[in-house]
This record gives sequence, structure tokens and C-alpha cells, in this order.
Amino acid sequence: MTGSETIDVQRAVEQFLFREARLMDANDYENWLNLWAAECSYWVPCNDDDADPRENIALIYNGRKQLEDRVWRLRGLHAHAQRPKSRLTRVVSNIEIEGDAGAEIVVHSTFVLCEVRKNETRFWAGRNLHVLLRSDSGFSIKAKKVMLANNDAIVPNLTFIV
Amino acid sequence: MLQQRGAALSHPGDWASQFIRGDSVNSDIYVDPAIFERELKKIFYSTWVYVAHESEIPNAGDFVARRIGRQPVIAVRGDDGAYRLLMNRCRHRGALICEVERGNQSHFRCFYHGWTYDNAGNLVHIPKDDAYPPDLDRDAFALTPVPRIESYRGFIFGSVNPTVGPLRDHLDLAMPKIDYMIDASPTGELRLDAGIHKTTFRGNWKFVGMDGYHPPVVHQSAFEIFRRNAVIDNGGVDSAVAQAPRKTMNDSELAVSRDLGHGHVMLDVVPHRVSEQDIHLAATRRLEGGEEYIAAMFDAYGAARGAELIAVGGDPHLGIFPNLQLINQHVRVVVPVAVDRTDVYLYPVRLGGVSEEMNEIRLRRHEDFYGSAGYGQPDDTEIFERNTDGLQAVVNPWIDLSRGRNRERVDPDGSIVGHISDEVPQRAQLREWARMMSAS
Repeated sequence: MTGSETIDVQRAVEQFLFREARLMDANDYENWLNLWAAECSYWVPCNDDDADPRENIALIYNGRKQLEDRVWRLRGLHAHAQRPKSRLTRVVSNIEIEGDAGAEIVVHSTFVLCEVRKNETRFWAGRNLHVLLRSDSGFSIKAKKVMLANNDAIVPNLTFIV
Repeated sequence: MLQQRGAALSHPGDWASQFIRGDSVNSDIYVDPAIFERELKKIFYSTWVYVAHESEIPNAGDFVARRIGRQPVIAVRGDDGAYRLLMNRCRHRGALICEVERGNQSHFRCFYHGWTYDNAGNLVHIPKDDAYPPDLDRDAFALTPVPRIESYRGFIFGSVNPTVGPLRDHLDLAMPKIDYMIDASPTGELRLDAGIHKTTFRGNWKFVGMDGYHPPVVHQSAFEIFRRNAVIDNGGVDSAVAQAPRKTMNDSELAVSRDLGHGHVMLDVVPHRVSEQDIHLAATRRLEGGEEYIAAMFDAYGAARGAELIAVGGDPHLGIFPNLQLINQHVRVVVPVAVDRTDVYLYPVRLGGVSEEMNEIRLRRHEDFYGSAGYGQPDDTEIFERNTDGLQAVVNPWIDLSRGRNRERVDPDGSIVGHISDEVPQRAQLREWARMMSAS
């Protein structure tokens, strides 16, 4: 890849992650779900960033089906922990593509997130690992791992999209 | 002894009677800081409190840091192989000697002045000890043990009250119910080694009760997901399995609420699940390792008991007063922090003698519902917080707990039984609360 192609890919990946962040901040569940590949993995580890989910619980360990359940529930009227919904603003940064960008692109990033709900303001932060699939129509998320800074501390209501 | 059916929640003249009127309770007991302080003393520092499970500290040096009420303790396996409960407090000036939640250490060193203890609690080093008499009795400065420690089949309880009665007298009718969880393993082994969901809510510890009335309302969205998936898993057929969650909590006359005495309570769905035993066995057979599991269970417990245990699925839905619950795939510990702050720790349980695939299914089921990002528990804690806020309205402070009082009955073992949605558990816990809070 030439230098300018590398920069183009970096910019395109950044734009994709910013778009994902905007959809999550807006609680736009359906359009967020549309960013994901037909077969995908969404993993938010608990207690340890690398706790093997076959042997350990996670905060979230979803395939496509469970991800659809999650979004379906949040869109309904009875997800009490999101009534009222969290208001969210996040900054995604330190976006770094690992290795050569082929059909699959491994992307590291960090985020800082401010959540306001019921007069309470909470700060969340963590590191993301995305595996993106590249096609002619753009990117889709094959896998996403969110390593929350507080995943071994007490974790309150985490029913918004992280 | 158990209370008689219809027994009053408190007695005239008792301390607690000022907060109880018939089957109503004054909401002060959930919001008054002075009452919370009294609860620490009269309940958490008087009776048995669950601390840890033996499987969390299998090897010499393994430890976990926990709390009995507000008091920090460590559960630690010594190099001698014995486990102990020790106060997490240096015998010199009182700082924590263990500053992390879990690990493995041969020694615990207080990093204030360097006093050092081995993992049996013995004082082994005092820096610059020439300032003390040469014949200083170091044994007298060992880490203070929790005054009483007893376990039931791996569940370690401690009490800071040296005169508390035997643990088995306290657990009483709850023991065979605890067995439902343990004996879901053909080898009788529970492994609390798959992580911890830790959460908190802005509300009183007593909100974490055992309530069979709320699920269709609070967890309606979860039930809709269960039902959707059960229909999908069943090839699109809307069968009894698909209806099961709703039927269990709501409509089945075989599912009951149960007062086991001593404040221990149960949402007893055992007869209901046994009535659908064939469905449970068929579902188990379809799992990887399911056939082997059924064979091992029948071998260990006999066909009848084995089938019952498989149907129950290790879920007694049991509350052990004051701080322990055994629910679905997890052990739950309630930690009172302040009158309006409660921490809750959920320890998923894996079963010994069961395929890794089946254990992984247990983990996923647990986290999907009970994790902080799950579709069950966060809704519970949200409602607890609404309860905290609603109880600030004290013009009329009375909470009604009379549901199903008119249809209580007593089973042959002496436990009081009601419909699963009745407030039998709430009355049971409040009756024990009133007894303990009124004790001299």
C-alpha cells in the first residue's frame, strides 16, 4: 500500500468509528445494529480484559442473535433501566490500525464517555478492539471487544450501548 | 421453631412493634439511618453471615477479602491446608493487611509499619522489634479470627457473635434446599471460579427480598425474549416450554412461596419443574455432554432423585437471612453499605462433573439476565431506586404486605406456604427482622 492509501484507510476507519459513536450516543439502536456483520461477536469482559468467556462470565458476550434481542428489548417500553434513557456523549480516540489493512482490519481505540441519567452524571472509559470487514459498500463490524476501565469494580446500570 | 400460620409480625411492647401494624410496615425501616445502624448490630453482628465458598480458596495461600456487615474480613487458606476467617485489620494500628479482593500469598504485610503475618494469621515479623520486650508474646498479636466459623457443604459462614448458636440450627429447613444447588452436580461440587458480577444500587438492603409477584411486571421484557427464543428453539411451535417462564411465576398452582423459618424463604418451583421433568430431561439430552450428565446424575442419586435434580436445574430460588441467596445459576451476596446504599455480588456457579459446554451455557444464561448489562437485574435495581425515592413521601408511611395472608397453609415440615406471588417471604423476613431487632 502506498502512503496515501494508508492514510485513506486510516481516515475511513476513523469515520466509521465516529459514526458508530454518534449512533450509540443517540441511542439509535437500529442503525447501530445495521453496522454489524451477519455473523458477529460483541464482547465486554468482566473482571479481567482477557477472561476467557468459555470459562468466565462477561458483562456482555453476544452473537448476532443476542445482539438483536438486546436491541429489540431496548426499543420496547419495558426496559425500565433505560426509562428514562441515558444521555450520552463520548469521545473516541487513539485510533490505531494493527498490521496491514486487508479484508479484515483490526483497530484499537480508546473512549471516554459521559452518561447523564436521572440527575446523575457518570464517567465511563475503556479501550475498544474492533475487527472490521471491508467490502465495496464499506465497513461492517465482525467483532467488537470493549475493555472497560472499571470491569473489575462495581459496575452500575450498563444498559445503554457501550 | 416456626411461627404458626397467621402469626403476628411483631408482639406488643417489642421495640419493632412501633413500625408494624397488622400486616403493614412503616417505611422508616428502609430509610432511617438510625435503624440501619441498629440492623448492623442486631442482625449482621449477631447472626451467621455468609462469607465465601470453599471453591474460591482451594489452594494454600488463596484468599478473598469480604465484609461482614461493614467489617472487613479475609477468608484464607493457610499453608497448613485449613481455611480461616480473619479480621482484615493489623494488630498494631489497625490498617488493612490485605488491600486487594483476591489472590494468593504466603504472608500479609501491613504497609503502614511493616508488621507481617503468615497466611494462618500468625505474627511473624515486627520491624525494629528491639523497642519491645524480648519476651513479647507474639501469639497474642496474631490476626484476630472472626469469632465463629462454620460451613455447610462448602458454604462458609462467619459470625462476629461468639455466642451464636450452631449454624445447622440456623439453616434448619433451608439445608435440604441448599442441597438442590449442590446436588445439581453429580459429584456434589460447586465451583465459584468463573468471575463476579459486582453491582450496587441506591436503596436499602432489605429490598433484595424474594418476590414472586414482580416478575411479570418488572421482567416483562425478559419474558418476551424468553418466549420468542423458546418458540424459535422449538421449531416455531408455541409449546408448554415456551410458556414455562410465565406459567412458573404466575399461573402454576404447583409453584409456591415458602417461609422456612429464621427469615429463610423460597420461591419453590420444584413441584412445578418436576411436573415437567420429561421436558427438562429431553432438553438436557440435546446438550453436548447431556446424556453423560443424566447417566452420572442417575448413578449418583438414583433415577427418581436424579430426574428431580435435573428438572430443578440447581436453582432452589432460596434466600438465607440476612445476606445470601441461591438463584438460578448464581450465589448472590447482599452487602449493606448505608441505609440507602447496597452492594450486590453475584457469583456464577459452575458444576463439577459436568461438560464444559453445559457449564458455558450456565454462564451465558446468568450474564444475559443478571449482569449489569443484562436484561433482568438492572431493571430490578432501577425499581429499587424508584422505591427509595417513593418512600420519601411519609404523610402515609405504611407499606402493605398482606397479599395472600388469607390463603396461607402449613406443610408437614412446618413451613408456611402460599401462592408464588403471595407476600409469604416478605412477612417471613420481616417477622425475623422484628424478632432480632427487638432482642435485648
